[in-house]
Amino acid sequence: MNSRLSTWLILGLTLTFLIGPFLIIIAAALSAGNNLAFPPQGLSLKWFIKVFEIESFRASFGVSMFLAIFGTLVALILGVPAAYAMTRYNVPGAEFVKLIVSSPIIVPGIIVGLALLRYFVIPLGIGIAPALFLAHTALILPYAVRVVSASMDNLRVDMEEAALLLGCTRFGAFRRVVLPNIRGGILAAFILGFVTSFNQVPVSLFLSGPGIRTLPIDMIAYMEINYDPSVAALSALLAFMSIAIVFAAERFIGLSRYV
Amino acid sequence: MFENRAIGVALVLPAALFAAALFFLPVGILLSEAFRTETGWSAWAYVEFFQSPRNQTVFFRTLKLAGLVALVSAVIGYAAAFAIVNLPPTSRGRMFGLVMLPLMISPVARTYAWLVILGRTGFVNQFLVNIGLTDTPFRILFTETAVFIGLLQLFLPLMIISLVSAMENMPRDAVSAARILGANWFQVFWRVILPLTREGLVIGGTLVFTGSMTAYITPAILGGSKVLMLETLLYQRVTVANDFVAASVIAMILIVMAFSANILLKRIATARKTR
Amino acid sequence: MSDYVSLENLTLAYGKSVAVEWLNLGIRKGELIALLGPSGCGKTTTMRAIAGLLSPKSGKISIDGRDVTRLAPSRREVGLVFQSYALFPHLSVFENVAFGLRLRREKDLEAKVMAGLATVGLTDFAKRMVPDLSGGQQQRVSLARSLVMQPKVLLLDEPLSNLDARLRLEMRSELQRVQKETGITMVFVTHDQSEALALADRIVLMRDGVIEQLGTPEEIYNTPVSGFAADFMGFETILPDENGGGLAWRPGAVVLGQGPHRGEVRGASFAGERREYVLSSDLGVIKADVPIGRDTYAIGAKVAFDLPRDAAVPLARFR
Repeated sequence: MNSRLSTWLILGLTLTFLIGPFLIIIAAALSAGNNLAFPPQGLSLKWFIKVFEIESFRASFGVSMFLAIFGTLVALILGVPAAYAMTRYNVPGAEFVKLIVSSPIIVPGIIVGLALLRYFVIPLGIGIAPALFLAHTALILPYAVRVVSASMDNLRVDMEEAALLLGCTRFGAFRRVVLPNIRGGILAAFILGFVTSFNQVPVSLFLSGPGIRTLPIDMIAYMEINYDPSVAALSALLAFMSIAIVFAAERFIGLSRYV
Repeated sequence: MFENRAIGVALVLPAALFAAALFFLPVGILLSEAFRTETGWSAWAYVEFFQSPRNQTVFFRTLKLAGLVALVSAVIGYAAAFAIVNLPPTSRGRMFGLVMLPLMISPVARTYAWLVILGRTGFVNQFLVNIGLTDTPFRILFTETAVFIGLLQLFLPLMIISLVSAMENMPRDAVSAARILGANWFQVFWRVILPLTREGLVIGGTLVFTGSMTAYITPAILGGSKVLMLETLLYQRVTVANDFVAASVIAMILIVMAFSANILLKRIATARKTR
Repeated sequence: MSDYVSLENLTLAYGKSVAVEWLNLGIRKGELIALLGPSGCGKTTTMRAIAGLLSPKSGKISIDGRDVTRLAPSRREVGLVFQSYALFPHLSVFENVAFGLRLRREKDLEAKVMAGLATVGLTDFAKRMVPDLSGGQQQRVSLARSLVMQPKVLLLDEPLSNLDARLRLEMRSELQRVQKETGITMVFVTHDQSEALALADRIVLMRDGVIEQLGTPEEIYNTPVSGFAADFMGFETILPDENGGGLAWRPGAVVLGQGPHRGEVRGASFAGERREYVLSSDLGVIKADVPIGRDTYAIGAKVAFDLPRDAAVPLARFR
């Protein structure tokens, strides 16, 4: 039927546009030559190997990992109680609090980075590394609150009330009844925060220094002086990592239910 | 709802204070920089900013590109979303996953690919030369077109996701009912699909518009210093000229635009419900 | 006999809006009492206040001689079977029922839990998970979970509303049986008068936050005190009399075919042992039931009817 054909045509073109470039990167990364080109001149894995050998990439990968894991952890430590409180208590100025907590999303990251550099790092003498950490945490916080809030909304209050009547303290009810049931949401928030932090660029632009660089920033710096396919290979590897994490999450906890 | 407000406040406070201190404070001070002069407060810096023709170009270019990306992504988005929604359930999930795939890849990687494709010796140019359409390669990189393409690829998935979600909430047989009553496809779109998916369109449009307005990586890599957008201009003013006043002005512009877009979105979303 | 549960001058509010005003009620030990009324009348609010989930704005609540007004829900020895059952989805049936006992670190936990499950007839379901159970089974687990705690008062929020007709009858006798066996004081909330009439020893009919009428099912059914109560109890025709009071007729008490009034048949339906008619007249809308075997009337027919004075129930208040 006509509509069948047009359906597949539209989707085919759209997907080619969206994913095609990525496939081209992989192909370019497999090039045996020394230039960034597509189609690649010969096939080789040498660029993928080279990526691991570049010292600065290794260092900045570590930085990005640290920020992503621990930044998200802190964001959850702050965000889970906040999400719980906002759904279960009539917090005064709830709208205002929601605004505060989600404001990092509205304000472009580059401004956050710049502001922190100018008013925290320089005048207060706080190091770049802590400032970078705090900036990433602040950026992840809204996601943490939002996802956990969504989980909380799906949990009826009367379960906690039942626990109270059966003898639990408030915290006991939270620990025994709420936490086990929002585990999935928390995990989803963690993964979302991790991926967001890892791929974040603008906020780290101004908060870089010797030895303190996130991976994406390092990649951009490298790109400015080298024209070889190592960045392509690195991009491909990172993309596989992100995709693998999200797929694993979907398989094991049904990530799509929480986002 | 639980009654003891004090506990509620105590639980929210750490997050709120964190966001406020780390965020409101520094950003607030940054924004105020533009208003401060030797003699007190004034908005002169803004006037000055807009007087420069280069700044005007950057401002309107950013608006234009963001708007264009939003528009084109809406058109393509509707087509793709409609196609997806009409697929059988298993294919639908897979297709949806494929559309979401780019979102998990770093913007650096996604933009980088265009360097390969749009460069002088890149894929597109090679193709055009090979089929004899031209002798000398076109310069596509570092033009507004390149930035447009990069931004479109970046944000199209967001639009598609919004629209798919909105279409799934349409009453199931609305389209069939309209066709039985005699509507052709254009009328079906204009009179049935569009009004019913208005919210999704607005959500997607706002996300795409704000995202494009406040994009950094894509304009930086694909536009360079030839095609400056507001954020790349900001970065340049700070790193090259230490011009924090200009940075503050630009920051305010970006925040105001993002904020207004958000408010507009909420306004339209809730207005719908009282209809 | 002093009251086992006593509510004195109780005022309950949500923020600024007052839900229950100056309520006074005494509940006897071992009694099965129903809080009955339309939605918004304050019955659920009152129940939650007894449980401790809502703090009174003013007034006092006592259970078994103890003032519990300021006491946390976990310390009141009150049980509550929620309308949604509120079972813990991450725990098995056994663990759900054992939950409160574990918190108290009670001995012979397993025996007590199995005894509780036996009371509700679910001993074979101990290992099952909550989502695998039907609605009726979930409710019984919820009941067992509260019962094993041996509460002083058991509260039930609309216990029969979610069940289909057959389950409803089963659950009704189940609740009565449990109550007779354990002698527990039960308070249940419902908007369905037939439930209240069938189960309760006494009924508290509530309206807009105050008690409209308090009495046994027979008292409320046969001698409603106001137009509101009469309407709730199924008297479809209520007319004012000269002194601010009123007269109420059941549909079966209206006489069709003769009488001083005229009406037009708007609706007629067959209900097994009778026909139910709806008439419009200048006295308003009249509902009349006629046993099978008598004259029938078609829609649109003009019919004479009578409201015999001796078949009416007098009401102290019209409104």
